[in-house]
Amino acid sequence: MEEKLIEALAEALEMDRSTIKPDGVFRDYENYSSLTELSVLAMLDSEFGIEIEMKEFDSLKTVADLVRLITDKQKS
Amino acid sequence: MSLLSFNNVGISGLAAAVPQKIINNYKHDLYFNKDDIQEVIDKIGVRERRFADDNTCSSDLCFAAAEKLINEMNIDRNEIDLLLFISQTPDYRMPATSVLLQNRLQLSTSTITFDISLGCSAFLYGLSVAYSMLTAGGIRKALVLDGETRSKVYSQKDRKTAFLFGDGGVAALIERGEQYSTSWFSLNSDGSRESLIKIPAGGYRKMSSCETVTEKVVDEHGNIRSEEQGYMNGADVFNFVIREVPRDFDRLIEFAGVERNSIDYFIFHQANSYINGFLARKLRLPEERIPTTIHKYGNTSSVSIPLTIVSELSGKLNGQKRILLSGFGVGLTWGTAIIHLNDCFIGDIVEV
Repeated sequence: MEEKLIEALAEALEMDRSTIKPDGVFRDYENYSSLTELSVLAMLDSEFGIEIEMKEFDSLKTVADLVRLITDKQKS
Repeated sequence: MSLLSFNNVGISGLAAAVPQKIINNYKHDLYFNKDDIQEVIDKIGVRERRFADDNTCSSDLCFAAAEKLINEMNIDRNEIDLLLFISQTPDYRMPATSVLLQNRLQLSTSTITFDISLGCSAFLYGLSVAYSMLTAGGIRKALVLDGETRSKVYSQKDRKTAFLFGDGGVAALIERGEQYSTSWFSLNSDGSRESLIKIPAGGYRKMSSCETVTEKVVDEHGNIRSEEQGYMNGADVFNFVIREVPRDFDRLIEFAGVERNSIDYFIFHQANSYINGFLARKLRLPEERIPTTIHKYGNTSSVSIPLTIVSELSGKLNGQKRILLSGFGVGLTWGTAIIHLNDCFIGDIVEV
């Protein structure tokens, strides 16, 4: 799951996947902006079926948090 | 559940008007440099849009569209018993702009007129009101006028909205007749999200003052606007739309009991090309049945659905057609409609 998320996140942010680490704070990545945030939300929806309120999304900080979000939602 | 259906009522004609002034977005570098705006424009897909001049209101655009429609369809003005004006950029706080248009269009003083103040979903709401009142009987023809001058609402110094919005006006004639079969509507609202798209001041909750018209830097990116200009939290809106619009789409298809394949065209509110592209992919709709005008008129709020029909479906609505409309935006409000058309007249777009 982590590998799949990192690959999808790299594509959404147009970054090299090797620069994305589980403990990385994704909003601090240089390519993260109000525009690329849409790509991240779109990716979560289309790749992982994640429907999330912005309040919850805004509370997520790291790439590992995103992985946990997907794992938890898919369990429930 | 707010699901409606109507029989024997339909749109017999549509016309539209846009301002003459074309804004080329890639050259719209009044406050931002071209490199910075390129990324924004590439994502939202708005290459051009139209801006009304200081003396032109939404009502003027609607008036031009209505004159075109009435004259080219040879409509007897005395048969128009209902005039609805849909806009959030009216001429005045009072009186209602629809009443001014009744006089300008030389309609009878027995005409029912009122305004509907909603945003991007409003054409669907307006149609549902016209369909309802026509179905009640006693009304021969209804004129739905839908106009916006969103260029006057948003700051050109706020990059989140400066490149998105444009102006336009449409006129739709609604009539009863056995040539029209069933139309279906689903209409929704969620006021808990009222702060996502908003003009915070200038109404009666926070009245106009020197402070409310003063421009201020509003974020860490240096975007500038006053409290009497609109703002939009794009990510929140996007996140809501990609979840709720497909859900409503499926709900109405199920309620109507129609096959997707039987729908000739899917006309979405022209929000921006990124949202619209995502919705089309998520709903797995064929690209050739999704007309778009976001590249040339931008986001014209409630006008975008009928303006897209007039601009892109002229000559394609002969005979019987079934089209699906999907509107979503400020409020938030959103809706889906499947309407039946039969030889719908489409006028050429008028430039004002």
